[in-house]
Amino acid sequence: MERLRTGFNTVFIGGAALLWLFFSTLLAAPFLWLWRDKTGNRVRKFVFIQSRGIMALVRAASRGMCVSATSRPSGSCVIVANHASAVDLYTVSLFGFRNVVYITKGWVFRLPFFRYVMNEAGYIDAEKTSPQQMLTLCRQAVEHGCDIVFFPQGSRKNPQARFKSGAFYLAGQLNLPVVPIAIVGTQRMLPAGTFRIRPARIVLKEFPAVQPADYPGELGPLHMAQAVKKQIMEFVDKTREQEQE
Amino acid sequence: MITREEIIQKTNEALKKEFEFKEEQLIPTAKLKDDLGLDSLDAVDMVVVLEQQFGVTLRQGYDLRTVVTLNDLYNFIETLAHAHSK
Repeated sequence: MERLRTGFNTVFIGGAALLWLFFSTLLAAPFLWLWRDKTGNRVRKFVFIQSRGIMALVRAASRGMCVSATSRPSGSCVIVANHASAVDLYTVSLFGFRNVVYITKGWVFRLPFFRYVMNEAGYIDAEKTSPQQMLTLCRQAVEHGCDIVFFPQGSRKNPQARFKSGAFYLAGQLNLPVVPIAIVGTQRMLPAGTFRIRPARIVLKEFPAVQPADYPGELGPLHMAQAVKKQIMEFVDKTREQEQE
Repeated sequence: MITREEIIQKTNEALKKEFEFKEEQLIPTAKLKDDLGLDSLDAVDMVVVLEQQFGVTLRQGYDLRTVVTLNDLYNFIETLAHAHSK
């Protein structure tokens, strides 16, 4: 049964996701180009709609999805989440973040289909941008009302990898709260290195915002990264154990 | 005076605690950027962590370009620690 469902998910849900991304971009591109704004807000709102579409398909491919949000301070924030699957990018939309700038690796910018949207939306290439440039670009994005999304593990390949301190350093410099998000189940559904979409239960949890002021000193960002990772990974491990029981 | 073995041990302890490295990753020939994945912000954190660990100031004259491998880092700390103790 699992193999049958995996086959169905891979062919039909995966196919539908690719078609959705391709045709929605194709249809929207002329309008986004005609009514382009310097801030990139329109493109980012389009990406939000695309993401919600992808998450509807992920829900259909899953064994159930649980999204647990919490109240958060008004204004922009830095969103950090664990990262083990390509699906993770789209999960942020389910928490109502409509206008986000992703900090991603350079290879994503080289994808022929995605790069148009990514450049127009003002996403930031973490490998090409120096910390000082990133600070400037993120400050501009915040002025345009954006939230900044980081996957501080930097890669999907090691789900236990440490959280790098860059996102937390940035939050401190811009005086923005950090909103941790735990993502469970996407690794089982679509891990790195495969196109097979297995059915899995998805659990998404938003934790209360963490303030950079709570982690003072030169090592504040490093210690904040460690504390946030601990909080997220404890939830991930506990949820996985419960799923296995 | 602190010995080289003590420097290696204390450096590795600090790196394991703060950067979640495993013992087997911390070989002297490991490159900080390519093998251990330390970026420029990590390097800043690492300097602060090691300064606290050894009680010396690494930032004066600290140049990331000269410290490529873990062995370079041990040598760098050894030079500074010995200069500090004189």
